[in-house]
Amino acid sequence: MRGFVLSLSGFALLLVTLTALGQGDRGTISGDVKDPVGGIVAGALVQATNAATGTVFKSTSSNDGAYTLADLPAGSYDISLTLAGVAPFELKNVRVTAGKTIRVDINLREGSQLSTLGEDPSAIATDEKRHHPPSGPTPRTADGKPDLSGVWWSPRTIDAGNPEFLPSAVEIARKRMEDNRKDSPSARCLPGAVTRIGPVYQFVQAKDYLVMISDDDSPGFHQIYLDGRPHPKEPDPLWYGDSIGHWEGDTLVVDRVNFEEQVWLDLGGHPHSDKLHVIERYRRVDLGHLETEVTVEDPGVLAKPWTMKRASDLAPGEKVREFICAENNKDVEHLIGR
Amino acid sequence: MRDRGTIKAQKPGFLSAAAFTLGLIIATAPAFAHHSFVAEFDTKKPITLTGTVTKLEWTNPHAHFYISISDKGSSTTTTWDFELGSPNGLERHGWSRSSLKPGDMITVNGYRAKDGSNLATARSVTLADGTKIFAGLPDDSQTQ
Repeated sequence: MRGFVLSLSGFALLLVTLTALGQGDRGTISGDVKDPVGGIVAGALVQATNAATGTVFKSTSSNDGAYTLADLPAGSYDISLTLAGVAPFELKNVRVTAGKTIRVDINLREGSQLSTLGEDPSAIATDEKRHHPPSGPTPRTADGKPDLSGVWWSPRTIDAGNPEFLPSAVEIARKRMEDNRKDSPSARCLPGAVTRIGPVYQFVQAKDYLVMISDDDSPGFHQIYLDGRPHPKEPDPLWYGDSIGHWEGDTLVVDRVNFEEQVWLDLGGHPHSDKLHVIERYRRVDLGHLETEVTVEDPGVLAKPWTMKRASDLAPGEKVREFICAENNKDVEHLIGR
Repeated sequence: MRDRGTIKAQKPGFLSAAAFTLGLIIATAPAFAHHSFVAEFDTKKPITLTGTVTKLEWTNPHAHFYISISDKGSSTTTTWDFELGSPNGLERHGWSRSSLKPGDMITVNGYRAKDGSNLATARSVTLADGTKIFAGLPDDSQTQ
């Protein structure tokens, strides 16, 4: 390894070797893409952005998981790959030298920084092909507000944002991930991460409240009060926090504070402090589509607010089955850290 | 490589043979939702077993099925526990609590638990009539 600096994002694990191949004034980046359990990832879009010009070069991994970014002008490149259900991959400052091939094998890690999915990628891939969101105007309640009610497919990440975690939070997350997340609350049938929405989820909206139901969280539901009440004056930490919402035009703005200390901020294992404040903005742009913007403010773990964007498709005909996690949780005794 | 699955990445208009041409699909979302996959199972320990289904637990957070395997040269049997996804995800992909019945002879591919117990996560199940059911990552032999 030489000539470039590794920079990992989203806990991607990679192997990089430099191989002298070919001739000419341009170079090549190639490698394999594999999922968190070592399976081949076909059809994944790998992008290399030239640091000097901003030119983006793209390659799609083949059926055997291989990708090749050929004929790249010599220079520095940022390599990235975003795939539903796994952590985003990013490798910065990959130095391409004329006449040579850099090998960058992309071994994706489970979970996403956004905690949007965190599911088996093959399940997500299968689900996404079943999306047929209906067309039509945004449904409205009797008082004219947009009605968010419905069952929604797992949200897609539109913009992952750029969280800048403080070193202390990074260290806690590093230890948790190195330990294979074996001590995660969800493994013990406690609620998953704060920023996780879904996977498949349902909104039930009434005039004075909105209920979100997840199909694999425990207990999997929380209420968002729409009746104008303020947050409690005395902190009363809750696993899902205290959530109140109000309308700004056709956007529902949800304000969440007072989170239980044990809950993880995201599936990346980051913690939160008692200063955690989450603002969610929901906009049902039409009958079949819901846009969500989530901003995380927590000066105890983040250097600055972190904003991410997601989008969900309506899932007509799908249901949210009950998820009684404690029914038969046999896994804890088998979980092994590193 | 029979021991590695192939994921088809999301791409508009991109069709996965694994998703649509094989009928009954199981996508487990096993360890990723409830617990970490790598904390419990070892992808370096693929396993293929043939045996008789003794029980199916259609439960959360994971469904499990158990198979009984005759020990070679002996009248005894060994029982293995295979973990699936949760019923919500399984049902969404065509499974039900009647998909496997006690007495069914099946062949299972999966990955063993790291702790060496008779526990594994099921990746694919082949029924006695030859019907192949995906239990986890699609089998690369079945993809485009």
